[in-house]
Amino acid sequence: MSPSVLQPGVPATLQELEPSSEMFRQGASLRVTGMLQSYDLSSAIAVIQDGGASLKVDTQHLRDINFRTNSTYQFIGELLIKPDNDVYHSPYKFIIIFDMTLEDATTNFLLTSLQAILQARIGRNVDGIDLNLYQQSLLIRRQYEAQLRSRRA
Amino acid sequence: MDSLHLVHVKLLAADLLSLASRHTSPPSFARCGRTVARAEVVGVVVSRDRREKFLRFLVDDGTGCVPCILWLNHQYLNANDSSSRASDSDPTAEMALKMSELVSLGTLLRVRGRIVLYRGAIQIAVRDVVLEKDPNVEVLHWLQCVHMAKECYDLQPPSA
Repeated sequence: MSPSVLQPGVPATLQELEPSSEMFRQGASLRVTGMLQSYDLSSAIAVIQDGGASLKVDTQHLRDINFRTNSTYQFIGELLIKPDNDVYHSPYKFIIIFDMTLEDATTNFLLTSLQAILQARIGRNVDGIDLNLYQQSLLIRRQYEAQLRSRRA
Repeated sequence: MDSLHLVHVKLLAADLLSLASRHTSPPSFARCGRTVARAEVVGVVVSRDRREKFLRFLVDDGTGCVPCILWLNHQYLNANDSSSRASDSDPTAEMALKMSELVSLGTLLRVRGRIVLYRGAIQIAVRDVVLEKDPNVEVLHWLQCVHMAKECYDLQPPSA
């Protein structure tokens, strides 16, 4: 990959990666952090979790990284969003909640039936990271970045 | 005289890469009207290109990717210097080589150096590289950048 076109991996918490979030878009370059829940050797798919949310990470392009469950990892890569086949094949997932219009229910179904996976190009073990401090500091940093942007505008 | 240009200014990549370039020779850079010559960034190495005379790498701190160049051609420079013998070991060259070994994909680095322009884009001509093993160091750097901007870099220097 040419260095000149490499986008920064914008830090995101796993809780933020929901379909309604502006970070949840095809090809978004992200940096995610979480505890390794599982790792499948044959597919090289890792699942990390943080604060009740989880994310699949495709690690096939990573070298020199050992995966241990319950260790904390950070990945930089691009988000791949695709339909969740399990949902499409299930007759029970399309639920119309009371007072919900058919249009809202359809939108809701389409959003909840998307599956995100991070195609990692960088991965590292970050055992010892204070995730609470990380997330609080991220909020402060985002405010500062917004100030920088408004100053430039 | 404003002393900001004498120190390595702690900056987020987005801040560094948006410095205003002044058309001087060599080019100088300004942040809120104050001259900045050296910078310190902390981030993850996301690209590495090793050549015979230099190592070029990208440091990603989440706000941007900072191009860094570490020159490894000190022996060529010294070979032209009549005051030193080529066979002498050059500590600067040795240090540069050692630092280049720290730069690998996925490592967290603190990079300090001069801010230079290359093909119209800002990059850091590396003076030193520190491998950061504690992941919390990066968070501390973010907070230091924000704090220093508010308490120092954004302020006008005291008039003489």
